[in-house]
Amino acid sequence: MNTKKPDVWLALCVIAGALVYLYSDLHMPVMRSGDPLGPRAFPALIGGGLLFAGALLLVETYRKARAQAASRVQTEVAPRAPAEIRKGRHQTVVLLAMVVWTALYYTAFEPVGYLVSTAVFLGGLLSYFHRGHYRTNLLVALGFVVIVDLVFSRLLNVPLPAGILSL
Amino acid sequence: MDSLHGILHGLAIASTPTHLLYTLIGVFIGTMISHLPGIGPSAGIALLIPVTFGMDPITALMMLTGIYYGCMYGGAVTAILLNTPGDAAAVMTVLDGYPLARKGRAAATLAIAAVSSFIAGMIGVTALSFVAVPLAAVALHFGPTEYFALILFALTTVSALTGNSLAKGMIATLIGLALATIGIDLQSGVPRFTMGFTELQDRVNFLVVVVGLFAISEVSRMVEGTMGGTLHTVKVTGKLWFTRAEWKRARPAALRGTVVGFLCGAAPGLGGTLAAMLSYVLEKKISKHPEEFGHGAIEGVAAPEAATNADSCGAFVHLLALGVPGSGATAVLMGAFIMYGIQPGPMLFSSQPDLVWGLIASMYVGNIMLLVLNLPLVGLLSRILYVPPGVLLCVVLGIATAGVYSFNNDVFDLYMALGFGVIGYAFRKLDIPKAPLLFGLILGHTLEQSFRQALTLSNSDPRVFLQSPIAAGLLVCSAISVIASVWTNRKPSKAFQEAEARIEETKHVDAERLVEDAR
Repeated sequence: MNTKKPDVWLALCVIAGALVYLYSDLHMPVMRSGDPLGPRAFPALIGGGLLFAGALLLVETYRKARAQAASRVQTEVAPRAPAEIRKGRHQTVVLLAMVVWTALYYTAFEPVGYLVSTAVFLGGLLSYFHRGHYRTNLLVALGFVVIVDLVFSRLLNVPLPAGILSL
Repeated sequence: MDSLHGILHGLAIASTPTHLLYTLIGVFIGTMISHLPGIGPSAGIALLIPVTFGMDPITALMMLTGIYYGCMYGGAVTAILLNTPGDAAAVMTVLDGYPLARKGRAAATLAIAAVSSFIAGMIGVTALSFVAVPLAAVALHFGPTEYFALILFALTTVSALTGNSLAKGMIATLIGLALATIGIDLQSGVPRFTMGFTELQDRVNFLVVVVGLFAISEVSRMVEGTMGGTLHTVKVTGKLWFTRAEWKRARPAALRGTVVGFLCGAAPGLGGTLAAMLSYVLEKKISKHPEEFGHGAIEGVAAPEAATNADSCGAFVHLLALGVPGSGATAVLMGAFIMYGIQPGPMLFSSQPDLVWGLIASMYVGNIMLLVLNLPLVGLLSRILYVPPGVLLCVVLGIATAGVYSFNNDVFDLYMALGFGVIGYAFRKLDIPKAPLLFGLILGHTLEQSFRQALTLSNSDPRVFLQSPIAAGLLVCSAISVIASVWTNRKPSKAFQEAEARIEETKHVDAERLVEDAR
């Protein structure tokens, strides 16, 4: 990472997360039957450790920034080219779209069924990431779902949801 | 059962047709996985654990272990031909392997890498057989105090030595430990941090975390690769063997690499990347031609390749004898052991001799299979490099989904895996190591139980951890590993930085060349 800013944010998120974890730990019901420590003690140590690690990351980041500023030869961070910035943004949008597409697939997984939902899901992904190869994409999507379904339902005796095909 | 009898007994088990077949399948899949940029041994094993559910545990573990060392074996191929390590441990092989391939010695370099890996594998398994038994005998006397100190030592070394920042290593480990506390507390029956989800009462599913963190998150890397399009492969031409002069230089390097690798593997948390790096630095230091390193020195391929393979054998020492994994991949394997209802540790040698010796013997068999498979099939296997990343990422997502769902037949696990995939992506972008999280998750439960038992037995007196010499020694070692990490300021070695810079630099040159070619 070229910039120290993400590390500062990470440290703050870890500290906030640790506080939430410790708060939940404090509000846990206690039952100590033959166990002097109870269920809270160990998580409290972990929460404390997370607070320490977050603070340590802040110190590390501060030390790195100071060392960089003190060094005679300043490491000039070359400005990113506009094309590179556009590519980075495009990648982020694609990844976000993929997460949403996958979440939709998981939502449809049981009601629609493995075969149909997976074929549509893979077909969608392949038509974007392997553009222009329609026949290959169709073969990969259909071949994959059929093989996996056969392996899981016949070989491993773990049937995947049939969904609308069971009607 | 002593080691020699154990090996013979294990060979009888490993040489049954079923076990031979599944070992072959494991090493073959492992080699294929190592050829796929972005998918490492952890993701490969995690993706295939669900396929082994119906199998007998010995057969399943032989296959999964085969995937692990098959991956370590084949990681060199992409490093030599593609300038991209197949797994993190093969990063040092890039430094000299790729320049040698560019000089027209791709076939000879691949052969040297394969033979060095084979030698290291065979010596490593033999060392594992003779070291693990006495270590397990010592560990039989461990109580909760010693176990607590041992696990703490493993966690601190993995936090301190993985990645470039102690704080980030600690954060990953502690997140893993926090995840391990989710679910119903065994002593009190109190649900902890379940947030009202009944699915979480039975603890966080290990497989879900591994598949999300290692397989689904790696899809993002493939997406970036697909859109970057910078892969450029060197073709394998000529006779697939090396000259006598090359072997004369490579042989001692491979033997030294084996020793370095095994010792690194036997220390929890050091891992194959560090083993490869140390062996490379050692070779460069003692070489009569240090100027050749980085430009195509055959020792620069033989030593790190031997080290990574010996490291994978060393990692099994404490996995089998102590029940503590040595790397991310062995942590996944330990998860597989637990899923089959087998707790790795000192009792394993007496309670499951067929499994433990069969597994060790299958490594001998697997190493021979790898040598026989890899040399003649390298041309064919390297064709896997041409699988379009767009197709590959779909296949990975498809297998991950079917595997995760089949574990509990519950869509909740799929959402969890997707969530961990996003977390894995954030970890990669923020340069946080993933292996410590896995260590924390898998060892967290035992760590907590040992901690509570030790304090219950001592009437809550914390001095109990200093009264046992073994526990005190391990706690001192933990403190030293943390202090040493802070002291050395966590700078990666010059050789490692050089390797990473080389990978980036050559990719740019190749990209420019491709543009030129296109014009």
